[in-house]
Amino acid sequence: MAAKQNKSRKTKCKSVQADPIQAAVDYGIDVSALIDNAGRSCTERIKRHQIALNTAEKLRKARKL
Amino acid sequence: MSSDFSNLLERLVKAGVDFVIVGGFAGVVHGCTYVTQDVDICCDFSAANLLALQKALSDLDPVHRMTPGRKKLQLTEQTCGQFKNLYLDTKIGRLDCLSFIDGLGDYDQVKRASRLVEVEDIKMCVLNLDALIKAKRAMNRPRDKEAVLQLEAIKKLKNSQ
Repeated sequence: MAAKQNKSRKTKCKSVQADPIQAAVDYGIDVSALIDNAGRSCTERIKRHQIALNTAEKLRKARKL
Repeated sequence: MSSDFSNLLERLVKAGVDFVIVGGFAGVVHGCTYVTQDVDICCDFSAANLLALQKALSDLDPVHRMTPGRKKLQLTEQTCGQFKNLYLDTKIGRLDCLSFIDGLGDYDQVKRASRLVEVEDIKMCVLNLDALIKAKRAMNRPRDKEAVLQLEAIKKLKNSQ
């Protein structure tokens, strides 16, 4: 009985961890942004990253004023 | 001057530098949504390759950013052998050049775990998704945890397409 319960617990635990999408959501990752990115080309992903980085750099410099 | 990682990588490709994009920027190429401050590459640390890399960056004032006084990058055929990694800063962004990746191995092993991607008509090698997950797991820093979760989710999304 105990072994059966243990097996059931293991299976449940495995099924929770087995869904990477749910794991990402649980961690607070915006999965919709990942889905949007999945539909983009590598060039487009890099361009968008560059825009975000440049904006972050501008904000960092602005804070020093 | 602002960072321009595409330009940095394009220069390396055009100069014939043998390298693979790894680390956080490889995650960006695969679709991760975080912002990374530098580009990590794993490259062949032969003198010929490092000298080609130095030439590609020569007009960008490359410096060793982790040395006191930020020493200029001045590699010679004799000094190339002294380095296992190069942590550089240039006018258009930081570039970390690594000879070994935890969880994967040396450049040859990393190259075998890479795939070609096309960025603005330039073909470059990037670590494949599974290898990147493996490397990030091996690094096991707090910031790698989110990267692994994003990469695993991207893998799932890809497989379900």
